[in-house]
Amino acid sequence: MEIGNLARPTDLDAALELIRKERGVAVGGGLWLRMSSKPMGLAVDLGGLGLDYIRDSGGDIEIGAMTPFRRLETSALLAERFGAFFRDAVGGVVGVQFRNMATVGGTVAGRYAFAGLNAALLALGAKVVLRGEGTKDFASFLSEPRNESFLVEKVLLPSGCRAGYASVGLTEGDFRILIAAAAFVGGSWRVVVGARPGAARLCDTATKELGSDAKPSGAAIEKAAVAAAAEAAFADDLRSSAEYRREVCPVLVRRAVSEALK
Amino acid sequence: MTATIVVNGIAERLSFAPGDMLADVLRAAGHVEVKKGCDTGNCGACTVLVDGTPVLSCAFLAARAEGKAVTTVQGVEKEAARFAAFLGAEGADQCGFCAPGFALTVIALSREIQNPTDEQIKAYLSGNLCRCTGYESQHRAVRRFLEATHARH
Repeated sequence: MEIGNLARPTDLDAALELIRKERGVAVGGGLWLRMSSKPMGLAVDLGGLGLDYIRDSGGDIEIGAMTPFRRLETSALLAERFGAFFRDAVGGVVGVQFRNMATVGGTVAGRYAFAGLNAALLALGAKVVLRGEGTKDFASFLSEPRNESFLVEKVLLPSGCRAGYASVGLTEGDFRILIAAAAFVGGSWRVVVGARPGAARLCDTATKELGSDAKPSGAAIEKAAVAAAAEAAFADDLRSSAEYRREVCPVLVRRAVSEALK
Repeated sequence: MTATIVVNGIAERLSFAPGDMLADVLRAAGHVEVKKGCDTGNCGACTVLVDGTPVLSCAFLAARAEGKAVTTVQGVEKEAARFAAFLGAEGADQCGFCAPGFALTVIALSREIQNPTDEQIKAYLSGNLCRCTGYESQHRAVRRFLEATHARH
């Protein structure tokens, strides 16, 4: 990676201006830099913006964009509010050193289809705060194309809920072949299937099958699991066939709901 | 650009290009104990501690280390040598290329988690790849090193 200039702003609005007016490229965790051959005229390091935090704002849980994965998995606050959900979603990503660098904002901004974190945030009904644009629903943010440069400031989560995560991969630290996440939030369930290998998507039919019962019956869980596999679109990639993903999907949805009910 | 980075307790004024990674800058400054394996942020050979936190120096922008304390294996020489004795006793070291990064991760583990379980040890070290040993002997060495460290404190 060739970088012409590196700016290290300490102010969010200054960072946004560099990104928008100077066509700067935001650098979060920076883990992709090494694998990119595209020259970058101006890189904008977001490391000095004070965006490394997880806090209870009194209504929401706020997670700053530069918060590393490792902090998500070790946060006492997140464990208290969401159980093992975040530890399960990010704890298997490569290794500890990698997770000390990979950031929430980088993963959200990249809208990475393979990321367990994005599936988890979608299941929780998270919102994303974009500097200068306000708060957006994470589901819309994931699915809508964006033409203009943007800067992720933080992610907002509900104050706490039951949530479960399950995934499968070729090896422990490898990209996931399929992800399922389920959460009972705001009085109803949300079921998400990710790494299809497309971006994580909310499964409406599966969500309806689970309904608003905090403790759904085994039959309802089974229906939701089958519905998720029927409605999600799967595709082939070098790690798995679409057929395998479709077969595994109900198993993971069942596991994710079971985890949420623990 | 130039930056002052505290390497193993000594402030060094280093010059580098804006896109240079910490591993390259450290090696160019003579800290060749920092190894480059995959050079894509996956194998853990390049692990260093930045303000006590293990990171992959091959994917860490050198500019981000400005004003921070960077520790290579040389900065924890005595502790690393003590760990190396356990590696030797278990026949857990062959080519040794991964050892500097591996030792730093083990030392970070010993500081972060008191009395870790076997699962915690395996999870913490999963980002350090070794193509010689098959990990079992390393795992025994780490377990014994941590037990001995725990007993000393």
